[in-house]
Amino acid sequence: MTSRRRAFLWVLVAVLITLIFGFYSINSGQTTAVLAGTVRAATLLVLGAICGMICERSGIVNIGIEGQFLMAAFSAFTVTSLTGSLALGVFAGIATGLVLGWLLAAMAVGLKVDQIIAGTVINIAAVGLTSFFYDRSRSLGVGKYSPIELGSLADIPLIGRVFFSRPLLTYITICLIVLVHIAMFRSVWGMRTRAIGEHPGAADTVGIRVLRLRYFNATLAGGFAGFGGAYLALEAVGAFSRNMSGGRGFLALAVMIFGRRSPFGAYAAALFFGFATALQNQFQLNSTFDIPTQFVGMLPYVVTIVVVALSGLFGSMRDPAALGQTYEKS
Amino acid sequence: MNKKLFRSCVTPVAAVALGLIIGAILIASQGSSPITAYQAMLVGGLRDSDALLRTFQKATPLIFGGLAVAFAFKAGLFNIGGQGQLLIGAVFAAGVGFGLDGLPMVIHLPLALIAGGLAAAIWGGIAGALKATSGAHEVIVTIMLNFVAGNLTDWLSSSPWKDNSGDRIIARTPPIEPSAEIPTWGALPVGFLLAILVAIMCWFVLERTTFGFQVKSVGFNKDAARYSGIRIGVITASTMAISGMLAGFGGAVESLGVDGRFEAGVNVGLGFEGITIALLARANPIAVIPAGLLVGLMQAGASRMQFKADVAPEIIDVIQALILFFVAAPTILRWILRFQNQTDEDLKLGVGWGSK
Amino acid sequence: MTSTWRRLFALLAVFGLLAAACGSDDSDSASEAEAETVDFKIGLVTDTGKVDDKSFNQSAWEGAQQAAAVIGAEVDYIETEASKDYEANIQLFLDDGANVIVTVGFGMGEATIAAANAHPDVLFIGVDQGQWGGVIPNLAGLIFPEDKSGFLAGALAGMLTESNIVGAVLGTDLVPPVVAFKEGWENGARYTNPSVKTISTYHPGGIDVAFGDPEWGATTSRQVIDQGADIIFGAGGSTGNGALIEVAATEGLYCVGVDTDQWTTVPEAQPCLVTSAMKLIDIGVASLIADAYAGVMEGGNSIGEVGLAPYHDFESTVTAEMRATLDEVLAGLTDGSISTGYPLS
Repeated sequence: MTSRRRAFLWVLVAVLITLIFGFYSINSGQTTAVLAGTVRAATLLVLGAICGMICERSGIVNIGIEGQFLMAAFSAFTVTSLTGSLALGVFAGIATGLVLGWLLAAMAVGLKVDQIIAGTVINIAAVGLTSFFYDRSRSLGVGKYSPIELGSLADIPLIGRVFFSRPLLTYITICLIVLVHIAMFRSVWGMRTRAIGEHPGAADTVGIRVLRLRYFNATLAGGFAGFGGAYLALEAVGAFSRNMSGGRGFLALAVMIFGRRSPFGAYAAALFFGFATALQNQFQLNSTFDIPTQFVGMLPYVVTIVVVALSGLFGSMRDPAALGQTYEKS
Repeated sequence: MNKKLFRSCVTPVAAVALGLIIGAILIASQGSSPITAYQAMLVGGLRDSDALLRTFQKATPLIFGGLAVAFAFKAGLFNIGGQGQLLIGAVFAAGVGFGLDGLPMVIHLPLALIAGGLAAAIWGGIAGALKATSGAHEVIVTIMLNFVAGNLTDWLSSSPWKDNSGDRIIARTPPIEPSAEIPTWGALPVGFLLAILVAIMCWFVLERTTFGFQVKSVGFNKDAARYSGIRIGVITASTMAISGMLAGFGGAVESLGVDGRFEAGVNVGLGFEGITIALLARANPIAVIPAGLLVGLMQAGASRMQFKADVAPEIIDVIQALILFFVAAPTILRWILRFQNQTDEDLKLGVGWGSK
Repeated sequence: MTSTWRRLFALLAVFGLLAAACGSDDSDSASEAEAETVDFKIGLVTDTGKVDDKSFNQSAWEGAQQAAAVIGAEVDYIETEASKDYEANIQLFLDDGANVIVTVGFGMGEATIAAANAHPDVLFIGVDQGQWGGVIPNLAGLIFPEDKSGFLAGALAGMLTESNIVGAVLGTDLVPPVVAFKEGWENGARYTNPSVKTISTYHPGGIDVAFGDPEWGATTSRQVIDQGADIIFGAGGSTGNGALIEVAATEGLYCVGVDTDQWTTVPEAQPCLVTSAMKLIDIGVASLIADAYAGVMEGGNSIGEVGLAPYHDFESTVTAEMRATLDEVLAGLTDGSISTGYPLS
């Protein structure tokens, strides 16, 4: 990270914090509502981004996150509605994600199918299969995950309501972000993963089994997307409907790149995006601007483009060197 | 030569056959008859001139979208923004189509087409230019621009360009003037001929011109291209603009040849299908034509399949995914069919994902 | 070659097993009429939605089935995948010799008019399709004053709210019925409670996602609750359903459904669902089909019934006083002494 870029980021953070407290002192209720909405909208995106990140750090492009979300949401919903257990539904979602992650690896690593095609296969198949087998009469049967207040932490003004009064899966997600970040940058696994993404040949010569680790990582990453799908069906919504992922798997991809393929970066990017979404809702609720919904609705996307373009000027982004390439032992 | 052609057809044909067979098992598992279902699908897409017309109409935007994605692939760019570019093309073509009157067809129709293509070229060019100047990843930018284009076109058709011919009308523009309509010759929509023509032009540009060579050089090896004096930024920006224009033509043909106007929501998903088509065709502009026709045929027959055989139309998505899978993984086909096919190169596009 | 076949067979067997595993629990959709006692065929073409969309397509399909059962007629449906297929799907029923064709949704208006003009011997029922451009004798447009339905629901909300803030999470303003529901809802709330604050928001995305985004519906619903709203109107396909289910997760709040009695269609929302602002599409479709069968169906607009769904678990919440007010409002709306404030009603 260049010093210019670091300075840019700190200025950005300082401005945001000042703004948030400024608004909080003017209207605490709305500020809390917007920030709570921010965290909520960010959760699914960051899970997808972590999935994409683990894949890309290992040299595999995963554009099948959308399909992984959808299939996992479907199976999480179906299992919960059959068993009445939310926990079993979450496991089913994760399992589905793992299977799809393995499938991606089997195609991309094993069969050497082009990775973008492999992801597209998962996406189309997910839309088709979940609609084809969607059971019209099924409902969840139990209430979705509801917020748990974390004791006195929940009483802290603003932050308490925003971060410490959340349903279970959001807490788990925040723990996962920290865990993956540490694992990616401080553990042997992380080092090896980054090695096979940057320079598989060299990694191979020092004894890392490139293909096996890619299989493992893509499968593991699928588990995160699967968890995201379960979150979508069992916590965020509490039902399943056709195409309910609504393009968020693709947004997660953008969030991952924007967050520079690190979990903390991705969470920052996801929060930023979630904030823009919650903010435009608030503009509508308050009738802040008398402009058409369609323009207010563009806000998150336009802002993202602008920020991505600007941050590009402050130090360019770089993909892992071996991204998208199949590795063949020579 | 014939043998080579035959060889290159074996994989896709086998992939289609296998996809359909597995689809048949799924259909049977739902208690319907696969034979009735497929028969209905074929009849629905081929039986008479109406059915054929529908198949051609369905194939047209798919071909344009497939070309858009394929062209960008050649320069190592992934254009996920086909949907947005298609919408922009559709709305501006319709805008010129209904906004001007009194022009003869030979002027009005090309003008409307060009307006759509040009607007979409600018839309796609934004992503290319941003990538060239600030390194902003085209995947992020095109995804975001899809949403922006959706909202922009919805607004255009619900506010300034809204059809006010009656109360309580959904967001849509007035119908285009007859002089901007793309004609249909019997069962053959002229828009489809246009798509074929454009596909051939894409092939020609890529294979027979210096520009095409430069595009492919950038896609093949960016560093080598830079050292040989190719201006990467210019190629990147212009490739994305051309890619956007191709998708935009697809939208323009929809407005001018099929819908007769722009209406919010009727072009849903058409742009995304382009990715599938390009991949099915292995990014070959000529192969995009049969790929588009195949998927168009399935889409045209899907309603009849549901009507006659009670099969949910989503089955065609599943079949598409299977075909794509088998096309992309010829290893499996070779393993099953046991043929050795050395000329059958595996398709590699992911190389182009990287940005520098 | 035998080995090739064996491999092919093995692969297929795997897929077959998978398919069987996935498909084993499917409860078959009843789409065919049981007994064909009379030679009368009813066809229904959905909007780009499904007959199980828990909303207007489903209502219309239920109405068609009810009518078919009464008459003893044959009934079938086609789900439209893309709106460009409207014409072709209507044609499928024409080729099949249908006597009555029900087309559901706004978007199919033009295709229906064209088909009705071309086939004067077939009767058409267009749900949500106002016939403003002139009467076609074989085409009845079934339309609903959604603003009145919304007004009634809003009137109830105005009386129920304790925080004096009522919220609405809506599909998109690109589709007139949604706007009508919203305007009616807000004005209804103000009618019974002049000091009420109404906060409403439309889905910010395009028409293609606006009705199918429950995640946004739920998140936004929470944002609305967080700023004090204690009764929320969710109107807009699964987006609205997401909003209702979110309200149900917090005790002591109310929610109001739309189109049909969502007590049955979205059981997850039962803990908060006071009522739904209904359009009685099923009854409208069934009675028009009955008219058609009897040969007395008239062309032009047919105004369908609207009203509030039963209160179910909230029978005791809605007091006698409130019911009396609602009756007055309904009477006022019917005789025109109360205006919903929606310009095109």
